[in-house]
Amino acid sequence: MNTKLKVSEISKIYPGCIANDKVSLEFGSGKIYALLGENGAGKSTLVKILSGVVKPDEGEVFLNDESIKLNSPLDAKKNNIGMVFQHFNLFETLSVFENLSIDSDKKDKDLRVLVDSILKKYNFKIDLDIPVLNLSAGQKQKVEIIRCLIRNPKVLIMDEPTSVLTEQETDDLFISLKQFSKDGILIIYITHKLKEVLSLCDEVAVMRKGKVVSVSNTIDEKIESLANKMVGENLNTIKKKINNFKNSKEILKISNLSFKSDDPYETNLNNLNLSLKKGECLGIAGISGNGQNELFQILSGEIITEGTSIMFRNKEIGKLNPRERREYLMAFSPEDRISQAAVPELKIYENVALNNFKSSNFFEKGLVNEKKIKEHSKKILSNFSVNTDNVELKSQFLSGGNLQKLIIGRELITSPELLVCFNPTWGLDVGAINYIHETLIQINEQGKSSILISTDNDELLKLSDRICVIYKGKLSKIMNADTVTAEKLGILMGGGSID
Amino acid sequence: MEVQLIKIEKRNDVSRSIYFLTPVLAIFLTLFGGGIIFYILGFNPIEALKFFFITPISDLYGLSELLVKATPLCLIAIGLSFCFKSNNWNIGAEGQLIFGGIVGGGVALLFYNHDGFYVLPIIILSGAIGGMLFAMIPAILKTYFNTNEILVSLMLVYVAKLLLDYLVVGPWSNPEGFNFPETRQFSESARMPILFDGLRIHAGIFITLITVFLSWLILYKTYLGFQIKVSGLSLKTAKYAGYKGKTMIIIVFMVSGACAGLAGVGEITGPIGQLHRNISPDYGFTAIIVAFLGRLNPVGIIFASLIVALTYLGAETAQIFLQVPKYTGQVFQGMILFFLLGSDYLLFFKIKFLGLKKNEL
Repeated sequence: MNTKLKVSEISKIYPGCIANDKVSLEFGSGKIYALLGENGAGKSTLVKILSGVVKPDEGEVFLNDESIKLNSPLDAKKNNIGMVFQHFNLFETLSVFENLSIDSDKKDKDLRVLVDSILKKYNFKIDLDIPVLNLSAGQKQKVEIIRCLIRNPKVLIMDEPTSVLTEQETDDLFISLKQFSKDGILIIYITHKLKEVLSLCDEVAVMRKGKVVSVSNTIDEKIESLANKMVGENLNTIKKKINNFKNSKEILKISNLSFKSDDPYETNLNNLNLSLKKGECLGIAGISGNGQNELFQILSGEIITEGTSIMFRNKEIGKLNPRERREYLMAFSPEDRISQAAVPELKIYENVALNNFKSSNFFEKGLVNEKKIKEHSKKILSNFSVNTDNVELKSQFLSGGNLQKLIIGRELITSPELLVCFNPTWGLDVGAINYIHETLIQINEQGKSSILISTDNDELLKLSDRICVIYKGKLSKIMNADTVTAEKLGILMGGGSID
Repeated sequence: MEVQLIKIEKRNDVSRSIYFLTPVLAIFLTLFGGGIIFYILGFNPIEALKFFFITPISDLYGLSELLVKATPLCLIAIGLSFCFKSNNWNIGAEGQLIFGGIVGGGVALLFYNHDGFYVLPIIILSGAIGGMLFAMIPAILKTYFNTNEILVSLMLVYVAKLLLDYLVVGPWSNPEGFNFPETRQFSESARMPILFDGLRIHAGIFITLITVFLSWLILYKTYLGFQIKVSGLSLKTAKYAGYKGKTMIIIVFMVSGACAGLAGVGEITGPIGQLHRNISPDYGFTAIIVAFLGRLNPVGIIFASLIVALTYLGAETAQIFLQVPKYTGQVFQGMILFFLLGSDYLLFFKIKFLGLKKNEL
């Protein structure tokens, strides 16, 4: 069975932005195609067009040389185009089998036979009769894939599938995808992770600003060449100097800290111990939901603990709230930049005033000193290259990258001794990520310390001096970054142990 | 079968002028809705609306009455705006008003045979403190025991009402009052000065205006006001910025209770002059509508209080001239809130029709 999929001169224009600009691509079965691009490059729009969620303004889609109309997701299904989205669309409380049967018009008995044969064929190990909420992210994704396979897809589109997976689960997924490809399914793999493109895909199409800028065989490409195509400029890859902190002063020490939450949806933290030296970056890896949130809040003072459990520059700070901790020169950049680190309805300068440190004089004698706040905000906007100089702008109109620069800028302009950041670059484009990474390396070079809680292993390996992994509220032993590999992290993140 | 698919989306950029114009739209829709109701009841809608909204304020006495009614409404609504802006739902202003009235009235009775310039200020102050203390009950229960302030503050209204009932029937009833459920008349020096002879408008209006100005100052020009604003928009951010959430909850309830207490004491020392069972025609509840109609903005609340006060007057005129019950006033207040919430919904969300889709289930 040979499948050919062709998109021809597809354009989609949103107010103020051309999402797809005359995109033409050809795909044939038996190969795995990568669609690579930064956030906002237009790959999601193209995928949405192929899956019938969005209608193109111009252009056509051909399946096996026949023009097809994709007016709804149902049309895509009818044309045997399957799609696995980044976020799962499963009913958590229903069983795996119930989730599959909702979407299928087959009789339960026939469906079970079919599903069993798929499980066998691809060596998936999933209990069909347990509720989905008991599955790991990797297993949930398999359920989504099975849901597509039931319909005998000719085309399978995977949208950034590895963002929620561990290293091992990713390896598993790649094995399955290669098998599907052998069985004649055309696979389109959307990602912004360059390594995955090289290890998995046969051909790669790079998109930038709504246009296809290159189509090539992956054999001819390297990480650097793809990165440059994706960003459109030569990125100077930043490298961190390896430092030796043996003789540096200890600035933060957490000893025997436990946290038991009343909220069943929060993770309890269990006997945490860590220490941090001046100028050092400690990376904390882990799959999201393993206690990172709680750990961040304990560091920032949103959760208050016993005074002695956290020592910062020889002072007990466990009982202090975030504002009081800032007085001791700590700074915090939370994961939720949109609605926690900033308030979208507030103007930029008002968001800057949230970090009301003592010497700022933002509020003199309880009164708002608007002039001072605005001056200070202007300084942040220019020092941290935020793409506006209008401090009256509501922060909801800033792009993710600019908002994150504003937040990091707000936190850093007080020259804190310690910056705690939590997933500082999620959802940002390569340019902004680069900027944030440079900034984080810079503060270490200036002798300031940082704690980086992140779910992005590449980021952790690039920026950290030492790394540990959080799993189910427990920290692994802390390792020197140069002895850590992505594989080791993957094992620890999945709850395994290494010697 | 074909079905129309509808999607509701949040609007991102709501213009400020439209934000303040929708309350006006809501008022016009209320007039329209009221017209229809009058028509159904068999009246000429234009005539009826004229009796309701024009006749009451067509003379000086009417205007004075309007201000007499608007004074407590505005004062309570200003206090409530502190609570509502910071996401604290104080529904019990009526109870705080009554309790303020009880404390202020108690002090006034204590001084019933005293004369002196100091009497009235002491009464006013004690009324404010009474309301404040009463409002601290839901605040403290919320901060330390995680109770729901909506329920607690609402329930306390009935506690205050029954307490007042008990006092005016029992221990505080007028010894020469033939067992009527009311206290003695307060002495002259315990009464709010009347501004014009023959009209009921009293000095309480100055208390309201000063409070409005102070509230504007606090809400827009101080650190406390900034903290209230941030907490109202995002509690997560307030926590992250390190604002003392518990202290702030107690402060906003105190402010709001004090304002309601002042309103109560203004009523009993102003137009009423004694304590009896009905010292407030639900001002404390109606003020919730005033606060939202005024967009929780001090200036907006002034206008809103005038309009809502008019529904009280209009109801009375309508009762006399059209023989409809005075509760029509509450119907109008309800309609204002209904139309305001409705137009707000359409202001903040847009409804998208995605076209007809075949339903293949």
